[in-house]
Amino acid sequence: MNDRKKMAAIIRKDLRMLSANRRLFAALLCVPVILAVLLPSIFVGTIYAVPDDPDIYKLVEMLPEAMQAESLERTALQLIMNYVFPAFFLMIPIMASSVTAASSFVGEKEKSTLETLLYCPLSVRQIFQAKVLASFLLSMAVSLGSFLLMAVVLEGELFILMGWIMLPGANWIAVLLLLSPAVSLIAVTVIVRGSAKAQSVEESQQGAVFLIMPVLLLVVGQFTGVLLLDIRIMLGIGLVCALLAWVLIRKAAEKFNCEMLLM
Amino acid sequence: MEAVVLDNLSKTYPGGKRAVQSVSLSLAPGEVFGFLGPNGAGKTSTVKMLNGILKPTEGGCRVFGYDPVKEPEKVHMISGIVTEHARMYDAMSGQDNLIFYAEVFGISGEEGKRRARELLEQMELTEAAERKLSAYSTGMRQRLSLARALLHHPRVLFLDEPTSGLDPESAQNVNRMIRSLAEKEGIAVFLCTHQLRYAQEICTRYGLIEEGRLLAEGTLEELRGKAFTESSVRIRTGQETMRLSIRSEKDIPGIVKQMVESGKDVYAVEEEVPTLEEIYFALTEGGKKQDE
Repeated sequence: MNDRKKMAAIIRKDLRMLSANRRLFAALLCVPVILAVLLPSIFVGTIYAVPDDPDIYKLVEMLPEAMQAESLERTALQLIMNYVFPAFFLMIPIMASSVTAASSFVGEKEKSTLETLLYCPLSVRQIFQAKVLASFLLSMAVSLGSFLLMAVVLEGELFILMGWIMLPGANWIAVLLLLSPAVSLIAVTVIVRGSAKAQSVEESQQGAVFLIMPVLLLVVGQFTGVLLLDIRIMLGIGLVCALLAWVLIRKAAEKFNCEMLLM
Repeated sequence: MEAVVLDNLSKTYPGGKRAVQSVSLSLAPGEVFGFLGPNGAGKTSTVKMLNGILKPTEGGCRVFGYDPVKEPEKVHMISGIVTEHARMYDAMSGQDNLIFYAEVFGISGEEGKRRARELLEQMELTEAAERKLSAYSTGMRQRLSLARALLHHPRVLFLDEPTSGLDPESAQNVNRMIRSLAEKEGIAVFLCTHQLRYAQEICTRYGLIEEGRLLAEGTLEELRGKAFTESSVRIRTGQETMRLSIRSEKDIPGIVKQMVESGKDVYAVEEEVPTLEEIYFALTEGGKKQDE
């Protein structure tokens, strides 16, 4: 059996353990439900109930003419669905990967199971790769699942309330295929780097708070119209994040050694 | 080829604590080597260096020719390790834990399951196989750890306090198994313990470590020679029991002959051999203090 199969065994075990942990699973589901179901529903409901709300009107007025649709509702929804939600959505992979990586690295250290893993016939780097991959895969599954859930709920609500649907715009391609995986990897790396010093899962998760800040700024920027991100800017940010993730993950792998983990 | 070689092995931690200081010794296949010392003597640090988990600050070590610093994966492939800090997954059953570690050691699905069942039976854990580890007692966990260490048929076993938490019967079974593994399969066993009576039951050679320094090394006879220049014999003649000092057991027939010739009836002759515990205390500082 080659090393890949041995690594696959660690990935399978991590995925199984993470999904069997009820507390962790509740934390994993809580944020997506709020961000992908609750918030979009509130926006759709508001637009349906008060279409001539002066705040929405002001927001729509700030948009460039090219983005104006045939009705105020459509324009407002287009703004929220393709500019505000994608930024909100980035919190899901950050949250999911912080929770899974903290459990996978610091949780194992806390429960003294990491040392047993280090006695297995795999290099520390391979163990690192397997665990990063497990956290990343679960985070991506949560992100994609959240997107699908949001799409179904949102389109369903639109169809029932307005009688029409609105397909997600091109920004979502950049978010789902580039930004989400990149920020997810950055979050995993932040947790892994902190795992040497952190003595508990909760302590290690605090590092991810710093990642939420830029995302929040992005959301505020989108809402206030200060910074409206189109597909090109989104792809640019995605590429920068992907590059940053690659550099950080390489550095984290270099620093990852037994003594650092078990001290 | 020697199974385990420690050559001037030293470890000083970043804080300056010298955990292991210039320890040199070797261990042949089939030997059960007792690495004895109190808590904090440097036993666990030595085991961690032998497995590549810690890097030596000076000197080096080899396991069947492999350097644990350069090729830890190869060392792990031929070693089984049981330490109190190497635990298994509480959320998984005993059997699932073993099947998982079998996979990580490259033992394929069906073979892994068969090996897990076999070891669970040997460790008398078949009934608890499906139970989650969180419901296991300390003794059951310890036996499962030993099963994990044996999954891949290792050539050397590193056991750090393997019988701690075991009831006397289980401890005896584990002892029997370790001895049989060494005798029948030629597995080298590096056993760290502070339970000297238990060590005397199964070890063929010993190393006494204190504050990171190897105080003495050898077989029980060799250590006895280092600790005591003479032993004693107890002779019962009728109502009287006398204790005489002797240099070796060869002195006994002469003493008995002399007593019989002088008209005394000899009912019992017993050589008083110092136990490992007595030898240990005689060789360590604690022993010296006690003697004072």
